[in-house]
Formats: sequence, C-alpha cells, structure tokens
Amino acid sequence: MISVTKSTSPIVEYHNTIGLCTMEGRGFMFPVDTAFDSNGYIYTINRGHKADPRTIRITKYNIHSEFFGTFLSYGNNDGQLLTPSSIAIDKNNNIYTCDELTSTVTIFDSNGKFINKWGHKGKGKSDLDGPTSIIFDQNEDIYISDQYNHRIQKFTNEGKFLLSFGSYGNNNSQLNLPWGISIDNNNNIFVANWRNNRIEKFSDDGKFIAQFGNYGNKEGELNRPSSVVVDNKEYIYVADWGNERIQIYDNKGIYISQIRGQATVSKWAQEFLDSNLEEASARSKANLKPDISQFNNDPHEESSHIEEFFWGPTSVKIHKNKLYVTESNRHRVQIYNILT
Amino acid sequence: MVSNYEKNYELIGHLLRRASFGANKKEIEIYAQKGYSKTVEELLYPSNTNSMPLDLIRRHHPEQSAGFESAGTACNWLYNMVTTSDPLTEKIILFWHNIFATGYSKVTIGKVLFDQLKMFKLYGMGNFKNLLIKLSQDPAMIHWLDNHDNHKGAINENYGRELLELFSMGVGNYSEDDIKECSRAFTGWTLQNLEYSKELAIRNSIWPYGKISWRYEYNEKDHDNDTKTFLGETGNFNGEDIIEIICKQPATANFLSRHLYNFFVADEPPVPQWPYIAPKDPKAIEILSKAYFESNYDIKHMLNVLFNSNFFKSDNCRYAKIKSPVDMVAGIIRLTKEFESPKTEILERNFQMIFMGQELLNPPSVEGWHQGTEWINTGSLTERLNFASKQITNISNPGTKSIIQNIIKENQDVNDPKEIINHCLEELGYINLSDNSLNVLNEFIGLDKNNNKITEKNIKNLLKLIVSAPEFQKV
Repeated sequence: MISVTKSTSPIVEYHNTIGLCTMEGRGFMFPVDTAFDSNGYIYTINRGHKADPRTIRITKYNIHSEFFGTFLSYGNNDGQLLTPSSIAIDKNNNIYTCDELTSTVTIFDSNGKFINKWGHKGKGKSDLDGPTSIIFDQNEDIYISDQYNHRIQKFTNEGKFLLSFGSYGNNNSQLNLPWGISIDNNNNIFVANWRNNRIEKFSDDGKFIAQFGNYGNKEGELNRPSSVVVDNKEYIYVADWGNERIQIYDNKGIYISQIRGQATVSKWAQEFLDSNLEEASARSKANLKPDISQFNNDPHEESSHIEEFFWGPTSVKIHKNKLYVTESNRHRVQIYNILT
Repeated sequence: MVSNYEKNYELIGHLLRRASFGANKKEIEIYAQKGYSKTVEELLYPSNTNSMPLDLIRRHHPEQSAGFESAGTACNWLYNMVTTSDPLTEKIILFWHNIFATGYSKVTIGKVLFDQLKMFKLYGMGNFKNLLIKLSQDPAMIHWLDNHDNHKGAINENYGRELLELFSMGVGNYSEDDIKECSRAFTGWTLQNLEYSKELAIRNSIWPYGKISWRYEYNEKDHDNDTKTFLGETGNFNGEDIIEIICKQPATANFLSRHLYNFFVADEPPVPQWPYIAPKDPKAIEILSKAYFESNYDIKHMLNVLFNSNFFKSDNCRYAKIKSPVDMVAGIIRLTKEFESPKTEILERNFQMIFMGQELLNPPSVEGWHQGTEWINTGSLTERLNFASKQITNISNPGTKSIIQNIIKENQDVNDPKEIINHCLEELGYINLSDNSLNVLNEFIGLDKNNNKITEKNIKNLLKLIVSAPEFQKV
C-alpha cells in the first residue's frame, strides 16, 4: 500500500496547546507519551534528563489545563524509573509505565501510589529489551513494543507472557527498532516500524496483515515514524518523527493530509509571560515564524526555529475525538479536533 | 611495495594518537599494511565517514535532539568522537573549538553550539578565509563576542579585537586603529530576532517551549559603509574584505602554523606568551607557513605537510604532549568500545572530562584551554588514573573483553613476563614505555604460582598499571 493521493478537506482542526517547559511541577520536560483515565485526567510521562532527576516525572492535568500534580521519581527502586518511555491506563485507572533502560513495567494507581512492577531485561521469550510503547486491548491484555528485540510482546496485565510476534529485518512483517504501537476497534495492532520507515498492521494474534510507507519527505513518505493511532472511522494518524509532522492516511494506507503544527501560547505559558514582562515584551516583537526557505529543507532545523511547528512528535493518541500530539523537544501537547 | 619504515607500528601509533584518539593493535596493523603515507592520506580523505547515526542518538536522547544545554551537545560530540571512522575531522573540530573558544556560559543554547561544531566540521579542513567568514557569521560567536552590539557609529570592538588577537594574527601585528577599522567593517553582522534571542540568553530562559535556535542576519542599515584603512589598505571594506586582508598576512600564516604545531606536534607556551617566546621549532613553523601560502590558505594541505614532515615523525616528539582530558576519555572509550549504541552513561563520560579539567563547550576563557602540563594536577591525575584503570578492566565493554581475550590467547604458552607485557602494550596501541615503567610492570606481573602462566586477573592488573604509567598520560 503506497500513499499517492491527497484529500482537499481537512481531517483535523487545531484546538489548543497544553504545556510549559519546566524542570519540575506544572509543565513538562522532554515528554514522550500521554494517556487518559476515565475521570477526565490526562497523564503525560516525561523522559526528562538524568542530569536533573527532578525532570523525570508524570504530569497530571486535564483538557482545561488544570494541573493536579506530578508523581514518579528517578531511580531504580519500586515506584522509580530511569528512562521513562511510555504510558497506558487500564479500566481501573491504574497507570502502566515502561522504563526503557531497566526493561520493566511499573504500575501506579491514579494518585501516583506504586502498585507493582514486572518485566526483566533479556532476549528470551518473555523478556524485554528497551520497551518503548505500551497499550491495552479490550481484554485488558497488554502489548509492548520490544525495541531492541525487534518484536511485539503480549502479556496479561499481571505480566504473564502470552505471545510474541515480529522479528528483525526489513521484509514484510519484520521490524527494526519498533517504537509506538496502537490498537484499532477491530483489535488490529499497528506498529511504527521506526528504522524501516513504515507502518505495520498485525492481527491481535500477531499475523501480518499489511504495511505502508517508504522512506522520504514527500507526501505520504515517512522518515522514522515514532507513533501511530487509528480513529473510529479507521483513519490512521502517524507521527512522522524524522519529518517533524503528523501524516493522516485512510484505512488502506493511502495518504490524505498532513499537519506541521500550529501551537499557540498555552494557558500555563501565558501565565508565565504575564509575570515575566521583559520576556513577554521581547517575544511580542519577535518573528516566531521566520522564512522557512533558509533552513535547507531540514525539518529538524525548521522546527528548532519555528515555534508553532511540531518538534520531536513522539506520540499520537486519540481521546474523545481529539488527537493529542506529544512533542518531546517542545515540552508540550498539541490537541486537534478530529473532523471525520 | 611498502617499506619497513612505512610499516613501523610505533610510528603509525604516534600518528593515530595525534590525528585520531589513539588506536588498538588491530587497527594499527591494518594501517601498517598500507604504510604511513597511505594512512595519512586516508585520515585526510577518509573513504567513509560513519559514526553513530544522529537519528538513533536523537531518539534516545531528546536532550541532545533539542540542543537544550551544553551537556547534551557535548555528549553528542563525544558520541561522534568515539564512534567515527573519520577521527581527524573530530580532532580538527576540537582544534578550532580550542582556538575559537565559545562558551555555553554566555550562549546558553546547546543547539547553537551544535551548529558551530557542524560549521567547524564543514569548513575546518578547508580554506582558512572561508572558515573565518563562516566564523564571523556564526550565531554563537556573534553573541559570544557581542558583535550584535557592534553598530554603525557605535562600534563594539570585542569581535574585531579577538579576530586579530586570538583567531588569526596574534598580538604585535596590528594596531589599535586596525582593531577599530576591523570592527567597523563587521557592523551589521548580527542575529535574527535579536532582542528576543538576547533576552532569552541573558536569562537562560527555557520558557515557554524550550529554546529557539538562532540565525545569522546581515543588517545593511546598520553596516558602516564609509571608507576604512586596515593594515595599510584603504577602501569601503566589509567583513569579507577584512578577512581577505588578514589571510594574506605572513603573521597569520605563522600564527596558524604555531597553533597547528602546538596541537599536533609539541606543546607550546600559552598564546599570550607567543609574542615574547620564540616557537619551539621555528623551522617547522616556516615549513607550515609556506604550505599555507602555496595552497592558498588550505588547512588540509597544511595538515598533509605536517603529518608527513620529519619534525612530526621524529622520535623527539613522541609522547611529547600531555593528553587533554578529551584525548584521555575519548581514547579510552575508543579502545574499550563502550558505546556501540546510545547509552545514558555518555553523560558520566562527559562529567569525567569535566572532572579532569575540560568541559567541552564551556572553555575557561576566549583563549580556550592551555595545553601541556596544566592538564595535570593532583586532582586531575587521580581522575585520569581511576577512570582509565576502571574502564580498561571492565569486561562488559566489548573492546576491553576483546583486548583481554587476545592477550590470553597470545600468551597461553608464554611464561616470559617481558613478552606478556609487550603483548599488553601492543594491544593498547603499540605503547612505548620507559625502562623505569617497564621495570615496575616486571616486578608486579606476579604470574600464577602453580603453573607460572598468565591469568585474567594478572592481565587486568597489568592493564591498570599501563594506563596509569606516565607515558599513557601523553600522546
């Protein structure tokens, strides 16, 4: 399935931005993934930077930018993580997180209290090596993107191994450093096959169904996709990480449209500017959308200069008909209404 | 046919300690088969320039991807140094970073310093005139030396002064008036979004959404278009014209040659003493200056002349320089192959260099780091010995494991301590030790009492002692 066509009608419409770059407390530092509980709370997991362990945390807030605190700390003890990579929430609002370095799954309740931890690093059948994405299916079983083992692992929510699929390579169904995964309403598993520059589709028992995408920066082409999600109408949203954009495809992988980012000043950001008038004044005179032609078609370079653009889109999630894009390099979540 | 001299392992080891970050036995032997001259050619014109892929680094290190602060960019550079197949380029970036020393303490954006390193990579072995033009347009340098405050009718001499004093000619070869005229020519060489960029830099602000990168801008309205007289020439000079005049000065050729000699051949006194102390080897400076002019200021040609010269190949300049902390840490990591993929330990390795006295991207002043014995004091020496002995015996490092396995394999039937020691020295890059150091190793080796054979423990202890030897602190 190669993407070739483009829709003239928009699939998504910008809604708002939540975020502020902060070392601790309200805000994010290198956020990598976002999840939602049934009470309207949103949880964004921050990879942070071990040079300043305060930065490694989960930030709890809601769609109205109300902030409800942070939890999780840096370390290797119970309730601590070294390199947070992903987050998912079960039907009881328990929060499951993956640690890429320790290859473990750590579970918290919705108040951030440690519940349990499982998983061990290795190459064996039930082992993990660099887990980088975690999702639940409708039965509350868990799929994990097992990055360095180039496969997807399925477990019960208590960590009992169920099955595994995918292997290292570039052929159909083969994976190379998979990153984000998601599940559609038909229980199909979608994998952002990062180093192979494409999206794979598997059945819930790991049978290969289809794939789309090839390397490039033209419409529909992919450069190191980091995340994928499917909406109720089966439209597929891909975080095209290396091209710093989100691309939208139909259920056959035909390209429809793309967005490059339209971030505005978030509520938290506005409150910062309101109390830092010198910065606000200088900012008001600055050109935050410089001429894009001066950046030699390098998306990373463009996004480092143009503030509204996605920079490091590591996760796309859908919740209540909204698309949430978590951007690690801009420390924020951009939210779009889905119009389909 | 490659001559025996050309195959000289110790000579090639010497070249690779200076033009690279050292090499192991296998690498030296592969180069030796090609010969010394061919090795120089491959260093200057590498057939491949692979290093750890940037996308892989960025995926695992968002702090490096965002160029947030200096540690991220320094770690990114360290990854390149320890994994590249084009080490001379990384060495040249280090060379220019030490001369055009720009610091995070004032710039406060890692991404902008990353861009400066990228510029050194692209232009650092090319034409010196082009390099100086790119340097003058480099956003980090413009901010570091305040050229954005250098206005028509109200000059700021900071950049103009350092361009002449530290970057090209050296004190004593120009007048105070030349500095003023030079500065006038660089008016209008500034940054886009100047006010906001300066405001964020002064506050080291990360708000609201992290840091925004900088871009050079030429502001025609702020450029002084009147006539200037510089180094005896008169005209309506812009920055490029000034650099053209600078580059044709013999003083520039001598200054650059002495810098290359200081970095690659033998330690010279700190730059402020150069007007008063003659070069260690005036003839070498003469040869390099000639290479500068005959190639129309081409750095790569100067390096080719330098590495093929008798003064570089001479026994007298082997182990004549103290390893910088970067040389020490990057050299050990290349030997031990600790980083075949991104790992969070890269941050600790960067700290290790800082503890030894060299914080990349944060030089102590515009003069960069003084070379030579200033690298060594009781604190830094302890750091060096602890770091090197710990890493060289950590068999979770694939390079270390391979070194130890090779030594065991080669010495299964050997019970002559001297031969065993010699194999260890070869594995670490055909290191030459003094008789005094060799005697210490001989006394210490302590073969297994039962069968007089070497054990893994013996080898680890020997390796620890070798990397603690005075000769291992030098290149």
